[in-house]
Amino acid sequence: MRFVRQVLIVAAKDLRAEMRTKEALNASLAFALMILLLFSFAFEPTQDTMRDISGGLLWIAFAFAGTLTLNRSFARELPNDCLDGLIAAPIPGSALFLGKCFASFVLVLAVELVSLPVFGIFYNVHWTVQLPELLLVLLLGTWALTVIGTIFSALTVNIKLREVMLPMLTYPILIPALISAMQLTKDLVNGTPIGADNMDWLKMLIGFDIIFTAVSLALVETVLVG
Amino acid sequence: MLPSLFDSTVWATLIAAVVAAVASILFLRTREFFYDALALAVTEIGLLLLAAGIVAGAITGRMTAGLWWTWDARLTAGLVCWLLYAPYLMLRSAMEEPTRRASAAAVVSILAFLDVPVAVVAVQWWLAHRSAAPGHTSGLVPASWGNILPVILLGAALAWLRLRREQRRRAADAERRTAQTI
Repeated sequence: MRFVRQVLIVAAKDLRAEMRTKEALNASLAFALMILLLFSFAFEPTQDTMRDISGGLLWIAFAFAGTLTLNRSFARELPNDCLDGLIAAPIPGSALFLGKCFASFVLVLAVELVSLPVFGIFYNVHWTVQLPELLLVLLLGTWALTVIGTIFSALTVNIKLREVMLPMLTYPILIPALISAMQLTKDLVNGTPIGADNMDWLKMLIGFDIIFTAVSLALVETVLVG
Repeated sequence: MLPSLFDSTVWATLIAAVVAAVASILFLRTREFFYDALALAVTEIGLLLLAAGIVAGAITGRMTAGLWWTWDARLTAGLVCWLLYAPYLMLRSAMEEPTRRASAAAVVSILAFLDVPVAVVAVQWWLAHRSAAPGHTSGLVPASWGNILPVILLGAALAWLRLRREQRRRAADAERRTAQTI
């Protein structure tokens, strides 16, 4: 119970700080919308093309925009040595990590929920046909992105090249989760429900979330203290 | 020789990945810098061998199917694994302080190792769905022990040389630091 409260306090602190400055949120949202627009130059958005690439397009935009938010997750604590204060605070590293994860999760999800209707309008895709399943995939995929992104954000916070290192570390590890999320999203926006055909992808996405949440929690103390 | 070279390097690289993961865990437990140097040496040599294997695989594809890259499941999975481990070296070169660098690198190595089986399965499912262009076989053949063993031995020898060099460099570094403090 104490642990849950500590996690929520860290998450609330991060969200409050973000709501006051909106530095990561605005940049990430503008970036996601820009990628969605830029893709329209790359191909003719006909019905057939969109059926094939909708999932990939969405998740590439989400992953790119997400790293902007995740970059700030720990870097935000650098001025005034706030990070040292947080590490020295009487909470376990796992509570700090989970709190930061939840805060980034909410922010990235907010960006995704705004981008999704815009994507539907730009490319004439009926993304609402399987809304509950699509939201489930969105939640699972975003959690994978935020867990991996947050642990690497903590790992790279003291490096000069952290803006470059974070995506380099995050995307290769995320490949299984991204493939799963792309395949599922593609099926769902095209009206194919989750069934025997694509159940394996859902299982992989859930498995990825469980494995990497557990390992990140186990390793986070090492990452923070060194 | 060439069509089976990729398969041989895969075996050698898998061994390197296991050694790197075990060494990384041992480093985090014991804080003994020998394990850090060992993990660095085998990861570097593993990446080198896998890169050679992927290039050999691409050349094989060019010779048999006329295409450099046929999206063969094994070759693509190999490339994904290469990309998983490449940031390990980049991260190391971006960090100065030895203890922090060693523990950060160990964390990356462990996470990458756990991702290898998941990524390989994901790539294979994905390419099975995609059903690559018919008639384009990659031309890769499984390697026999006669091919695998030399590559493993070569890798072990290179890793041993790399480890010795790393240890000498660290000893020199330590001496320089002592001299500076005096």
